[in-house]
Amino acid sequence: MSEEITRDTASREAATGEPVAREVATARVVTVREQVTGKQAVREAGPHQGRPGTPARRREALVGLAFVAPMLVLFIVFRFGPTIGAAFLSLTDYRLSGEWRFIGAENYTRLFADDVFWESLGVTAVYTAVYVPMTVLLALGTAVLLHRTLWLRGFFRGLFFLPYVTSIVLAAVIWKWIYQVDDGLLNATLGALSLGPVDFLGDESLVLPSIAATSAWKGFGYTMLILLAGLQSIPREITEAATIDGTTAWQRFRWVTLPLLRPVLFFVLVIEAIQAFQVFDAMYVMTAGGPIRASYSLVYFLYDSGFKYFDFGYASAVGLMLFLVVLIFSLIQRRLIGREAD
Amino acid sequence: MARLRLPVLLILVAFVTVTPFLVMVLVAFAPPGGQALPGAFDITRATWQNFTDVLNGADIGRWALNSLVYSLVSVVLILLFSSMAGYAFAKKRFPGREILFWAFLATLMVPFQATLIPYYILVSKMGGVDTYWGLIVPTLANSQAVFLMRQFMYQLPDELFEAAKIDGASEWRIYTTIVIPLIRPILATLGVFVFLWHWNDFLWPLVIGQSEQMRTLTVGLATLEGENTAINQIMAGATITVVPCLLVFGLLQRYLTDSIATTGLKS
Repeated sequence: MSEEITRDTASREAATGEPVAREVATARVVTVREQVTGKQAVREAGPHQGRPGTPARRREALVGLAFVAPMLVLFIVFRFGPTIGAAFLSLTDYRLSGEWRFIGAENYTRLFADDVFWESLGVTAVYTAVYVPMTVLLALGTAVLLHRTLWLRGFFRGLFFLPYVTSIVLAAVIWKWIYQVDDGLLNATLGALSLGPVDFLGDESLVLPSIAATSAWKGFGYTMLILLAGLQSIPREITEAATIDGTTAWQRFRWVTLPLLRPVLFFVLVIEAIQAFQVFDAMYVMTAGGPIRASYSLVYFLYDSGFKYFDFGYASAVGLMLFLVVLIFSLIQRRLIGREAD
Repeated sequence: MARLRLPVLLILVAFVTVTPFLVMVLVAFAPPGGQALPGAFDITRATWQNFTDVLNGADIGRWALNSLVYSLVSVVLILLFSSMAGYAFAKKRFPGREILFWAFLATLMVPFQATLIPYYILVSKMGGVDTYWGLIVPTLANSQAVFLMRQFMYQLPDELFEAAKIDGASEWRIYTTIVIPLIRPILATLGVFVFLWHWNDFLWPLVIGQSEQMRTLTVGLATLEGENTAINQIMAGATITVVPCLLVFGLLQRYLTDSIATTGLKS
């Protein structure tokens, strides 16, 4: 039965030369995607008067530049400057005193020989691998639930989104207490069931999933809203046709909804992965990187190198590694989303 | 049975979502000292004691003021500068327009932490450590804001500006009396998000506000946690920290959730 649906969709796609509903599902996240990949059509703008070189055109250019000027100055000083500065600093031994020497690639050779760096990279990778599926599955589950119920939908949507407007520091403070061994809510509950106690933040193998769960609680509402928008843009006729064909709810989800949702799903996966790779706040508050560096993330390593050991050049080299990872995620996204859109 | 499954699941997720907030409030209002958990759930013993204790013990009032200054000043300045830039990018032709716009957007690819060190060195050399401007000004170069403004202003009809120009209005006048009223919806959306981003921000306030006086609420809350303050007081501090977010959220819930779905705003 389900194969028929996919074949039907496929034949329609073949007939029109365009994916039937994928286009619609993608449309809603176009602005989102543009922000990340910078991919969009360059449109001609404005009330243009006269030919180039005329006084009117020159005046328009001056006005335009004047309106961009404040933001441009801010970007030059506080965005472009520090970006170039980071690359340059990473080639020096700049320290707190302000004295520095150009040392070439020395910071990088030191970095690659530094076990703590590789450890922090590993911690960050594991955290990302745990956090991303956790959040996206939770978000997808709640989005599907909300999409299928009309019962108090707005109320629940708001409720699930609530933690997103708070800070990760707040989430960390509350959850640290929930995870406590003696007094915490979770262990009290486990105790009532004659289980545990479990040392959620003190156990090396549990600490990353525990922190990931806190971040997932805080952040899943955002992903849920994006996925819900994606679900709502899937034309109802497609799922209705599948229902008439006598498919089960699971078959419809697996063979109709999921393929149509793929671009949106992929978008949130990459966004969350980029986000997860920059994890710091939760670890700073909940575990201080412990136990024995089991939650010592890459940004934590960067922070300590810079603001504990004041080894600014070295910390900048760590920053460049972070940039490299994020760049790779973004390039993968561009490539795959570009292919979807073609 | 199947009909009941969806609401039951929804209520279950809702329960997990809300419980941490409930726990926070219960512990914040529980009598100080002793076992927090059993006592916390006895509503008859609720007290403001933890709030007064934490307010007397730490500089929470000052931290709240810092957070407020950081958030509100940033909102006003980002809205002003990004709408000006957005207007120019959408409606004016000038040399380098496309290159500049792409250069602005490209900075989205560079994570803030990767440039944290040069950022800090720059601001400290300019004497910005432990100052409000050092906290605020570097965060104003916001590419998401410029991007949103430009996208929104594309759809404004050019004829309006032409007509105003023919009537002899100056560019600044056109901007203040025509553009700003027309972009009110996007100003409101962006304003709310910028407020929340700054109110909840952590890493930048942590490195730039080094004295106790210059901490923001999030940084202050993290240091309370580090200094082994009683859990009841920490939760009271947490409750104070979250109130503005909940207010903003309560007032603008539908509006916020809709704009996420359409613009995908994320810090």
